[in-house]
Amino acid sequence: MNCRSQVLEVSVEGRQVDEAMLALLHTILLHRSTGKFHYKKEGTYSIGTVGIQDIDCDFIDFTFVRLSSDELDRAIRKAVGEFKDALRSSGNDGAGQISLEFYQKKKSRWPFSDECIPWEVWSIKVNVVNLANEQERQICREKVGEKLGEKVINIVEVINRHEYLPKMPTQSEVDNVFDTSLKDVQPYLYKISFQITDSLGTSVSTTMRRLIKDTLAL
Amino acid sequence: MAHFDTEYQRLEVSYNDSPPGEEDMLVHVPEGSKSLWHHIENLDLFFQRVYNLHQKNGFTCMLLGEIFELVQLVFVVAFTVFLANCVDYDILFANKMVNHTHHLHESIKVTLPDAFLPANVCSARIRNNVVVIFIMVIAGVFWLHRLIKFIYNICCYWEIRSFYINALKISMADLPYFTWQEVQARIIEIQKEHQMCIHKKELTELDIYHRILRFKNYMVAMVNKSLLPIRYRLPMLGDVIFYTRGLKYNFELIFFWGPGSLFENEWSLKPEYKRGGNRLELADKLSARILWIGIANFLLCPIILIWQILYAFFSYTEVIKREPGSLGARCWSLYGRCYLRHFNELDHELMSRLSKGYKASSKYMNCFMSPLLTVVAKNVAFFAGSILAVLISLTIYDEDVLAVEHVLTTITLLGVCITICRSFIPDKHMVFCPEQLLKVILAHIHYMPDHWQGNAHRYETRDEFSQLFQYKAVFILEELLSPVITPFILIFCLRRKSLEIIDFFRNFTVEVVGVGDTCSFAQMDVRQHGHPAWMSAGKTEASIYQQAEDGKTELSLMHFAITNPRWQPPRESTHFISQLKEKVQREAANCQQGMAEKHLFSSIQSIQSESEPHSLIANLLVGPPSLTSFQYAQEGHGAHHSSHIGSSDVASALRSLSPLSTSQHLRGSFSSTLAKGEGTPLITARGLAGSTTDTRTASSGSSAWEGQLTSMVLSEYASNEMSIHAVYMHELHKQQVRTEPARHVWHRQDSDDSSESAPEDSEANRTLPRSATFPFPGALSRQEGSTAPMVGQRRYGCTPDGASGTSRPGSRMSRLPMGGWTEDVQAGRHHDTVPEEGSDDEQPPQIHKVYKSVGYI
Repeated sequence: MNCRSQVLEVSVEGRQVDEAMLALLHTILLHRSTGKFHYKKEGTYSIGTVGIQDIDCDFIDFTFVRLSSDELDRAIRKAVGEFKDALRSSGNDGAGQISLEFYQKKKSRWPFSDECIPWEVWSIKVNVVNLANEQERQICREKVGEKLGEKVINIVEVINRHEYLPKMPTQSEVDNVFDTSLKDVQPYLYKISFQITDSLGTSVSTTMRRLIKDTLAL
Repeated sequence: MAHFDTEYQRLEVSYNDSPPGEEDMLVHVPEGSKSLWHHIENLDLFFQRVYNLHQKNGFTCMLLGEIFELVQLVFVVAFTVFLANCVDYDILFANKMVNHTHHLHESIKVTLPDAFLPANVCSARIRNNVVVIFIMVIAGVFWLHRLIKFIYNICCYWEIRSFYINALKISMADLPYFTWQEVQARIIEIQKEHQMCIHKKELTELDIYHRILRFKNYMVAMVNKSLLPIRYRLPMLGDVIFYTRGLKYNFELIFFWGPGSLFENEWSLKPEYKRGGNRLELADKLSARILWIGIANFLLCPIILIWQILYAFFSYTEVIKREPGSLGARCWSLYGRCYLRHFNELDHELMSRLSKGYKASSKYMNCFMSPLLTVVAKNVAFFAGSILAVLISLTIYDEDVLAVEHVLTTITLLGVCITICRSFIPDKHMVFCPEQLLKVILAHIHYMPDHWQGNAHRYETRDEFSQLFQYKAVFILEELLSPVITPFILIFCLRRKSLEIIDFFRNFTVEVVGVGDTCSFAQMDVRQHGHPAWMSAGKTEASIYQQAEDGKTELSLMHFAITNPRWQPPRESTHFISQLKEKVQREAANCQQGMAEKHLFSSIQSIQSESEPHSLIANLLVGPPSLTSFQYAQEGHGAHHSSHIGSSDVASALRSLSPLSTSQHLRGSFSSTLAKGEGTPLITARGLAGSTTDTRTASSGSSAWEGQLTSMVLSEYASNEMSIHAVYMHELHKQQVRTEPARHVWHRQDSDDSSESAPEDSEANRTLPRSATFPFPGALSRQEGSTAPMVGQRRYGCTPDGASGTSRPGSRMSRLPMGGWTEDVQAGRHHDTVPEEGSDDEQPPQIHKVYKSVGYI
């Protein structure tokens, strides 16, 4: 609960799914990443640079900016690819939701494992539409582009608000806040998960976890 | 070639071009997460634990308590097994001689160890007894579960402990001296620094209360709207409330936290329950779940029953032996606690005001001595007493009498018998004034159905009151019966209500930013849930389904505003409070002109009439109500109660307060009162309370010690202020009800009850003195007049289908407002009206059946 959540909704054609998702996820991550931190002995740090690059979409009239980090791009593409496959296998006009969750780790003492506490969740609800002919596709191409542009503005507005962000960590804690595994950029710790609509609802594992937690709670 | 002499010239190189490295980069200093307490994942649990630790007076007390609980469990099981298997009762009862070989010639003394079987015999007996082993295994599993829970809790509470010490700066030793309000103030203070909740920069008191009491608020609301099946009409016993801890546990399991419950986690209702679209399916699902839980309860029933019996035996037998009167003592029933609880009232607040009302309540119950019983009891006591006297005098003469078989037993039994009889014999020198007593009770318990007033001397009122305030013996008995009855209630009563429950959760859940899903009643919004008969007329927009009964919204709002003076209510609520205070002021002014019969006067009287003053204010109030009131202007609060205070008492109160007061107002007013001395014996209590409110607010700035003590004293004032307000609001309500045909209901019958028992009810109408406005099906069916539609509409789930054919579920449901889910308003409204216009075709048949059975049965 103790996290902000934003919901974006898009309806796209089947072949546009991965580009639209990439555009939105990359836009969010662009604003939620920093350069690599270089810590110095006095407990200060300097921030490295990040590169950005424009990406043109093939199936949408849209260009978006992303961090020029191939590793990050690969990771996101993988997640989006899985999402797309799941969406496709679920049926023709599926609907699903992909969510990007920023979290921070909290060290716990021995009997418990580290907690991952989300502080911001972006859920993108996707509606896949089927189009009959080429003309409609053309219109859709432009429309989706416009829509995505609005969403990007939306995202930037949300991110511009002065709201809670994890505090800048000291060297020992940097892994609790940032994902330091990438060599060129350093996004906040994030997790991408997705749900396909007919499997919406709690999965077995979460139910089990809750059950155990509940029985343990006072 | 012109020589340009410009001022622009090359600067001397005053710096070294640093090699492209790190020096020229911006250097940042990390803040680091110095505090462990920012961004807490589960604030609900966190605040609950903070509250629990405060209530349990610190970590050590809590640890010890939990350890002893574990030990107690082992002891109960072990001791029972031992008694059942390892004791040779023949030796104990001296049916068999002890065969000590070397003692042959001496007189044989039986010692306790003689009665124990040797260890090997004993263990063999246990091993051969399958039932005992079964019970022990189950107890062992249960104990292990408790142990794991205990360890887990200790780890969690250790963290809370360090939160208290490091963040709140309260050491465990000092914790008992802090009131919850202070702890809360500190939590609010440190939120600014630590950001425990990331949604808001600042927390409010209401946020914290919402989180701690999220589910309790739901339960209070459900009891308030008579949704839970806890009230039954039995053939012999009449109206019976059956609400035990076991039942409560099951309700909570079903609604809030069990597997597949309505709530996804502590803070949010599952999204499908927020949409009206498939409420029938959801109701179906819920009723299936209730069925399963009911069956599970039924299967586990023997184990729970054995445990209950054992536990009751070990915990109460000793008490009964020591003071047999304790069984005749009363306690607030579980239902009473739910009925009397305000929205957003923490446990300790509720308990303290109920305890304050305890004395008056038991006095009130004692007013009703059955003359018949008294005669019988007197005579039984006489005979028993004479036998006892003889036995005792014989014993005194020669104590060998005790050795005679059963003499000791007889003496004990006679003693118990006499004690019981004595409780039926009224004190000769007591004079009872039930009406006044009831008013005193009202001042503390704050809720009371209308028809009690003026009927305080009737047995019916007493019986209804006894549902809130039951015998301890009855309480124990109900707890013992609970495991057997609970499954039936779940399967046969609760299941029928599943649709209503689904609707309730959908309509009365709002999502509050930073808090999550809460019961909308708990927002205490007069506009949404106010009741026109409780001073919120004109302000409320609530439909009858939405109105909280018994003025709960209004009283809760007052209560919360008074206990948390720093809380900023929303605009409408502020308006409501200030209007009420204005009214109080006006009447206070009238009161000074000698109009003693005004409401306020009676409210003062009620507090005065308590023979044993319960606290400071009551002490102050014993002064004669007369003459003028001393008033002083106070910004913000113009309102004054005309509660009068004797000067000497004021002086003493002032002495205790004035060194602590930080507010200039207070000091000024006190000194002026002191200056007037005996000449001006009166001060307005509201003035005092008002200024104390100021002080409470101001005290945060003062030193910790001062703040502490002041807050302790002032929280007492707050509760008294609330008492006065409660009585006052009830008076106003009474007046309002008299003028208009209002529709106050004591227990709102649930649908099945009212339809089955309609004739009974009308019968009861002839004998029962209910308030004229008390509507029930019997009356309804007879008059069917102008009030009928109104009442039918108001009692959303209770229209007797026989009496008015209009009780189609659809027509009822169409009245249902859509709670806070604005997004669903369209769909929901559409849906809600659907059943009226032939939804029958759309619904699958089996769903329709359930729907019907809910509606009509």
